[in-house]
Amino acid sequence: MKKINRDEILQANHLACPGCGATLSMRLALKALGRKTVIVIPACCWTIINGPHGKNYAGVPVFHTAFETTAAVASGIKASFDMQGKSDITVMGWAGDGGTFDIGLQALSGAAERNDDIIYVCYDNEAYMNTGIQRSSATPYGAATTTTPPPIQKDRPKKDLMEIVNAHEVPYIASATIAYPKDLMKKFEKAKNTRGFKLIHLFSPCPPGHKSVESKSVEIAKLAVETGIFPLYEIENGVHKLTRKPKFTDVREYLYLQGRFKHLDDKEAEIITENIKQRWEKLTKKFEC
Amino acid sequence: MSKKIVIGGNDAVAYAAKQSFVDVISAYPITPQTSIIEKIADFIAKGEMNTRFIKVESEHSAMAAAMGASIAGGRVFTATSSQGLLLMHEVLHWASGARLPIVMANANRAVAPPWSIWAEQTDSLAQRDTGWIQFYASNSQEAYDLLFIAFRVAERVKIPAMVCMDGFLVTHTKEPVEIFEDEIDDFIKIKEKREVLDIDDPKAFGALAFPKDYMPIKLEQNKAVFSAAEAFDELSEQFYDISGRKYKELEIYGENSAEVAVVALGSIAETAHLAVDVLNNSGIKSKLVKINMFRPFPKKYLDAELKNVKHIVVFDRNISHGKGGIVKDEVTGSLGLGNVVGYVCGLGGYDVTEDDMVNAVRDVLDGKVKEDSYLWSEK
Ligand SMILES: Cc1ncc(C[n+]2csc(CCOP(=O)(O)OP(=O)(O)O)c2C)c(N)n1
Ligand SMILES: [Mg+2]
Repeated sequence: MKKINRDEILQANHLACPGCGATLSMRLALKALGRKTVIVIPACCWTIINGPHGKNYAGVPVFHTAFETTAAVASGIKASFDMQGKSDITVMGWAGDGGTFDIGLQALSGAAERNDDIIYVCYDNEAYMNTGIQRSSATPYGAATTTTPPPIQKDRPKKDLMEIVNAHEVPYIASATIAYPKDLMKKFEKAKNTRGFKLIHLFSPCPPGHKSVESKSVEIAKLAVETGIFPLYEIENGVHKLTRKPKFTDVREYLYLQGRFKHLDDKEAEIITENIKQRWEKLTKKFEC
Repeated sequence: MSKKIVIGGNDAVAYAAKQSFVDVISAYPITPQTSIIEKIADFIAKGEMNTRFIKVESEHSAMAAAMGASIAGGRVFTATSSQGLLLMHEVLHWASGARLPIVMANANRAVAPPWSIWAEQTDSLAQRDTGWIQFYASNSQEAYDLLFIAFRVAERVKIPAMVCMDGFLVTHTKEPVEIFEDEIDDFIKIKEKREVLDIDDPKAFGALAFPKDYMPIKLEQNKAVFSAAEAFDELSEQFYDISGRKYKELEIYGENSAEVAVVALGSIAETAHLAVDVLNNSGIKSKLVKINMFRPFPKKYLDAELKNVKHIVVFDRNISHGKGGIVKDEVTGSLGLGNVVGYVCGLGGYDVTEDDMVNAVRDVLDGKVKEDSYLWSEK
């Protein structure tokens, strides 16, 4: 069994909230990518987590940028490095779901269509957390946010980011989450060693935003996978591959751990279960046997 | 040896970008800028230019990618116009705040609606507070020359620079332009040291600054923009030694002891040369004060040129609705002058002739026009 290396690039004094999935994700991602990495960070929680002026807890060079510009800035960095004979440096965009599914989608589509040699990571905590938990197009059906307070909670499903990006015919797309750290790291390693555009979609528990207990983040991430809410898979050159087969456990286990779903009754849970079923029917057809 | 070829401002800019050894260009097409990037694509296709061209999906991403390329250490060029420049607005602030010496050509074009593709400077003047150095070229040769100087000035003070030229009137009007062979190489190949993304010295750029840090950073940025004037003086002198063409913050034409000064930027200044001749020939001692560098604002030079002039008439091919001409306002406000009359004119490419300008000046001298006014008569 492969051991996770002990070299810590992300510094422990980062400013994340306890139980932050986005931060554990960064820790693992950097372990996989190594120090020859630069990161582009738009407006999001990571703007804060990485430390104020003069600090850089990521441990590798970071360019903070405007909310919607991550992919384009990363493309520019990569092109510039190439021209200067520094093609061995990995260029990673690291954005939230708002910066990816919403305001940054155009730039993301541009970079994907050009197949620019960057890794675009979306750590998805399913809302605009940095501005205080407003809905995004990644907020799931039924979730409460400050702009979707019950009874006007979100009544539309999450966008399918991976399939949107897959429509651009890029070499590598993967989903991962902190509950499966080795799987996550393997996917980052694969992304690092693949030329062209890569997308990694990370499910990221957020205790203040999801109204969950700080110590339960890994458990919630695990349940997101096991209930079928967040499928773990890869798309390599258009070929879908399931990387973890869920047990399809009762979705209520997942919902009840998070205050953002506390207004939902069993009927709503059934709707969510049905949505999962339908999503998996579509997905299963795509997976290779 | 340099040679003269007959080209418009757009081609002139493309040649200058090619001869500036640009590492990365990221750009998006818009009339009347388009032929700049087409020409550059052509140079690249022919193997004459070793540059990575990122064909972005918008001007917003053009400036964002330019920032990435610049913070990674490359020399970066882009070009846009009007709606494209406006779309960049947020990122323009970011580029200057991040102290990235990107150089951009802007084809000055009116702002919609209604749609217009013709000359007007409201687009770039609306970016005057973004922290960019701004040059205004009034012919193709100036556009060509100023691009080289812009790169050197921008890199010296670590502030981005835009070279503006009026849509069609400069971008597409073919004139003889002297193009270098390799005389410019020593000048343009110099690249100043600056902070870039460095894996051996991992820093974060642009992180959250608390008030105690933010203000000094901004004052430093402001100082850097001001210092561009000095850098421009020094570098344009070097450029003069190579080319024989001299550039200053202002170009003065006409009578030294003028009683009338006509102030303009861009292609209207070309017409103003003729208007000043007419006025001088009719016994009205006049001079043209053409602004080449609008940011940093050439206050010191304007002061020297305007303080003893009785009547100052500013022609503004732009409009700040509810206020008036932007250049007039800046001149008056910066110098504290009371004897300035502004004409808003030539919007959306509307023709401004030497006769229009002469009559407008005469109306001021005759006391017919005492306040800011509009040059408008259907032709
Ligand atoms: C152009 C622009 N619009 C709005 C904002 C305000 N803003 C900053 S972060 C943010 C939400 C970020 O959400 P997400 O990308 O999901 O990241 P998270 O905060 O959840 O980590 C918003 C709306 C901004 N900085 N820039
Ligand atoms: Mg979010």
